[in-house]
Amino acid sequence: MSMKAGGNRSKPGGGNAAGAGGSGGGRQNLGRGRHSGKGPAAVIFNGVYANMRMVHVLTSVVGTKCELKVKNGAVYEGVFKTYGPECDLVLDAAHRKSPEPSAGPKNEDIVESIVFKASDVVAVSFKDVDLNFARKEHKGVSLRVSDNFTDSAVSGRINGEHKEKDLEPWDGGETHNSDSLESLDTDVSNGWDPNDMFKYNEEKYGVLSTYDSSLSTYTVPLERDNSEEFLKREARAAQLAEEIEASSTYMARVALENDERSEEEKFTAVVRGERETHTLSRENKYIPPGQRNREAMSWGSGRQNSPRLTPNSAGPPAPRVGLHDYNQSPGGDQRVVNGGPPRMSPKSQRMPRAHRVPPSRTTGMPPVVDLISHTTPGDVPATPSNRGNSSGGTWSSVVSGAHRPRSPRQNNMGGASPSSASLPQTGTAPAESFAAPTSASSPTAPSPAPNMVASLSGDVKESRVQETRQTSPKANKDGMKDSSSNISRPVCKGLPSLALDHRKQIDNLKKFSEDFRLQSSSNPDPAYELMITKPPRDSADKPTDLASLDKASSMSPEDRGGTAPSTGAINASKPGSPAALSPSPSGTEQKRAGLDVTSQGVQTTAMSNFAGPKHEEKEEKKEAVQDQVRKSTLNPNANEFKPRFNTQPKPANTPTPPRPQGQPSPSILVQQPPTVYGQPVCFPQMYPLTPVSPGVQKSIIWKSPAMYQVQMPHMTVNQSKPYRPGKVPNMTQQRSDQHHPPGTPTLMHPATAAGPPIITQSPAYSAQYFTCSPQQFPSQQLVQQMPHYQSQAQHVFSPVMQGSARMMAPHAHGQPSLVSSSTTQYPEQTHTMYVSPGPMPQQYPHPSATLHPHPQHPQPSATPTGQGQQGGPPQHGGPPAHPAASPVQHPQHPQAAAAAAAAAQALHLANQSQQPMYSALAPTPPSMTPGPNPQSPQAAFPSAQQTVYIHPQQVQHGYNPNHMAHVQQAHMQSGMVPSHHAPPTHPPMMLMATQGPPGGPQPPMAQTALNHIPVSSTTPFSYLAHPQGKHRKQNTCLLLAHVHVVAWLLQCSLITSNSCRWQIDGASEQKLRS
Amino acid sequence: MAAPGPGEYFSVGSHVSCLTCLDQRLQGEVVAFDYQSKMLTLKCASSSGKPNLSDVVLINLAYVSEVDIITDRTETPPPLASLNVSKLANRAKTEKEDKLSQAYAISAGVSVEGQQLFQTIHKTIKECKWQEKNIIVMDDVVISPPYQVDNCKGKEGSALSHVRKIVEKHFRDVESQKSMQRSQAQQTQKDSTLSS
Repeated sequence: MSMKAGGNRSKPGGGNAAGAGGSGGGRQNLGRGRHSGKGPAAVIFNGVYANMRMVHVLTSVVGTKCELKVKNGAVYEGVFKTYGPECDLVLDAAHRKSPEPSAGPKNEDIVESIVFKASDVVAVSFKDVDLNFARKEHKGVSLRVSDNFTDSAVSGRINGEHKEKDLEPWDGGETHNSDSLESLDTDVSNGWDPNDMFKYNEEKYGVLSTYDSSLSTYTVPLERDNSEEFLKREARAAQLAEEIEASSTYMARVALENDERSEEEKFTAVVRGERETHTLSRENKYIPPGQRNREAMSWGSGRQNSPRLTPNSAGPPAPRVGLHDYNQSPGGDQRVVNGGPPRMSPKSQRMPRAHRVPPSRTTGMPPVVDLISHTTPGDVPATPSNRGNSSGGTWSSVVSGAHRPRSPRQNNMGGASPSSASLPQTGTAPAESFAAPTSASSPTAPSPAPNMVASLSGDVKESRVQETRQTSPKANKDGMKDSSSNISRPVCKGLPSLALDHRKQIDNLKKFSEDFRLQSSSNPDPAYELMITKPPRDSADKPTDLASLDKASSMSPEDRGGTAPSTGAINASKPGSPAALSPSPSGTEQKRAGLDVTSQGVQTTAMSNFAGPKHEEKEEKKEAVQDQVRKSTLNPNANEFKPRFNTQPKPANTPTPPRPQGQPSPSILVQQPPTVYGQPVCFPQMYPLTPVSPGVQKSIIWKSPAMYQVQMPHMTVNQSKPYRPGKVPNMTQQRSDQHHPPGTPTLMHPATAAGPPIITQSPAYSAQYFTCSPQQFPSQQLVQQMPHYQSQAQHVFSPVMQGSARMMAPHAHGQPSLVSSSTTQYPEQTHTMYVSPGPMPQQYPHPSATLHPHPQHPQPSATPTGQGQQGGPPQHGGPPAHPAASPVQHPQHPQAAAAAAAAAQALHLANQSQQPMYSALAPTPPSMTPGPNPQSPQAAFPSAQQTVYIHPQQVQHGYNPNHMAHVQQAHMQSGMVPSHHAPPTHPPMMLMATQGPPGGPQPPMAQTALNHIPVSSTTPFSYLAHPQGKHRKQNTCLLLAHVHVVAWLLQCSLITSNSCRWQIDGASEQKLRS
Repeated sequence: MAAPGPGEYFSVGSHVSCLTCLDQRLQGEVVAFDYQSKMLTLKCASSSGKPNLSDVVLINLAYVSEVDIITDRTETPPPLASLNVSKLANRAKTEKEDKLSQAYAISAGVSVEGQQLFQTIHKTIKECKWQEKNIIVMDDVVISPPYQVDNCKGKEGSALSHVRKIVEKHFRDVESQKSMQRSQAQQTQKDSTLSS
């Protein structure tokens, strides 16, 4: 009771302690009070302090005047200062209030402070207290003095007698709200309705508004006269307009306004043109492939791809990109690119992309490949040996290149060969064809082919392993980059930029060629012999094949080297790499056969998508094929060979074989069926497919394989080297023919030349080929092709390579796919199709030619023709190499097919299925192709093709792009008529692209191929597109400028009412002038 | 503590009427009750009628003879808001000083009018104090008895004019109040006088 009593409970004390808690502060006190209130344990707070609400209310009135009445009736007035736990009250400046009213207390009456014991207090009255005075917040959640301007704070302390506003919750109505909100979003109208404005104007201001543009209500029309002053003004206006329109700022702004590009195009998407230019510059600068590869790798993701790859990657996502790129890329740039660097750049880009793509795809397909490759490498020492054999040092690079292709091929092979191979592999098929050539080159492969059955698995494995290795290491990384860069660069350099890379590649190629030659020469022969003879022998030979395979691998390298040389250093490198690959594949093929089987199994599994459906189809096809093969006496052998052929795709060898073995090629054809068994299956499949729309393509593809096969033998021949020379000429001829073939005439020649041999050599093959060829090509073409194959066969390796080059694109996708795609494309673009078929033959011829040239220049054959034909030659040169690579890939596929007859069949089935797929897909591409020029189609295809596909393709077929390029180049070269070539290539590209989709890996391949093709094609297109785009832009700019001028003039006119019209006229005139 | 909570005797929010031993009738809403000290706090409508203000009465039930619960409220009382203790302390200090100041003035013999004027000025301008019978505003303006407008002296400026306005208004209000108390006629007269 007593304040003192509270000893423990010492009073809050000073005014500051007024708070119940005293110094503690309101919160704590309150909080504590609450706690105490909740529980009996108000240890800290005693008495009143334990009463939360009492504390609160008493604290709230601290500082207010109060009248305290004590039990004796006295009333004290003072300022309530504080209170104690016993509810003792403290009044400051208190004085005893006298009963009678007085003016106020006097100083002497006031007591500093008085403490009243609760027991003495009767009542305390606080007058006019604002209980919210010290309230920080209504709910006391956050208590800051600064909260004076909250609604509660404001309303709680309104000065004066304002009645507290009753806050009402705003209820706009649910429907209304939603509607209004929606309306805001959906309301298209912008502001007032014109009629409303008019009405408002009329009501508010009495102005009758109209739509009269003369604004007669506000201004006076310009009166023209012939006065000197008026003329001066008019001239002045015109001058000003001209100045304005000519000003850079104006142009820039107009450009901004007229820029029809989407934000993505401007900021997100990579501009092809720019990229191309960049790539070009980069290529020039980028001699280091690693960066490119990296870039490519990075690009692999998609966007990046899209930009650089745009053609490729962009293709799938957006033809737009491609278009844009094309458009964007100034015609000049594109041209430049086309000239060589551009293409190169594109190619390089593509290559990188391809590489990149592979990674992405790798996730799906590539990984398998990688895994396979890894496993294979580990499993198969042969692959290393192959590598070692194939390349001393150069091989590694070449191999890398080859590997790249192979990787794709492998993918194709593994998966593609089965399924994708057929379709995407049409692209791949080309690749395979390449591979086949390589395999052919690996003639060992042929020999393996016989072995194929037994050895093929081994070979296939090897090939795969090599491929995988190549792909995995090179393709994916440096190897890929290098190869890609090399390829691209070589191509570019083939012209100017590639110099370094080309040189390197050339050097590598040379080395490889040497090595390969040595190996191939020795090995190939046996291999070829084995192949040729062995088809029957295969079973027995298989073991030998293994050895031969190694040899073959070495051979193939050699062959490749040969081819590579023919193609040119670059080509050589690529071809060489392919060849090396092919050889290795061939050698490896045998190993691969086993490996492939496994790998195929894996790949197939991976490829399952492709393979799955395709397999069935393929199986059927295979069966048919097998039947065909079986039917052909040769077929039995062919079966064995098939694997080899698959491996043989390496065709690189084929070129050589063809030459020496003009017969061999035929024999190869024949053999191929036998060998094909591995491959043949594919071929058969292809054929079956070919009959169908896909079938045609397939047939083409198969043909390519056949070519490869033939080439394989040729490869051996090539190894013998005679082929090369022979090939070279043949190639040239064939190329020319091929080029023409598309047109038929040329085809006729090749056919006449090559056809006979082929027919003679391998009836069965010929038959098959014929069947295929017929579908794909006109009978003539078929025949021609056959001949081509035969004749080419000798030459084939080179041709194949070249052909593969063309094919490559397709091959890259999937050999089968290539075929199918080609077929599909062909149908739409008969020329292209023919071309592709023709190209195949032509390519073969070309390859031969290339081979010959290659010695001189990597891409000589191609380059010469290509160059001669177009600025592209360098690129062409590049292409050969690529083709070679592609072949390698193809070989892989074949190998894979060979790997296990069943597997092969399955693969084939898969391929077939893929092919159909491709065919299906192809149709679209074809459409694409039809619409735009062949090139355009390609572009479209690239766009059509999805980056993903591209990636896989790229990854696997990083080479493919090169191949594509080669193909294109080859076409260019072979086909004097660039257009034809381009179209063909494009179609293949299309096919590739289409194929790509079916098979994860293959699609990529196709894409890559497409990409490459697009590049080449794009270049031409780019020209076209660019010009148009530019013109459009310019036009738009002009229009805009005019508009601006007009607007400006109008303003001027408003200012000077008289000259309006004149100025406008002047502006228009100026515009017209401009 | 063991004793029943406040809610058991007086639920917060209920209206209670009490008759003290001094025969004073107190009625209001229960705000708080402390059982130990028998202190009951009621909140009543403001005697001045201001809506946002209220009178608070602290009653010692020990001296209450009669307690009637007019209405009982079962609703849970609203949560308590945190209080700004420093603000309350400042208010207490200010009130004390004001009272002391007033006492000083009263002691100085300042007329009621003067005291009223001082209070009025003090409402607007805190910086004012008594100096003998003179009101010193802002240390600048001196208002000497009889504290009329004319008595405001100091530097010519906004301060002086402002103070004059306050003074003028103060007396006008006073007159108005008087007039309210008186007749309209007187108001007019006063007005006239004021105006004069």
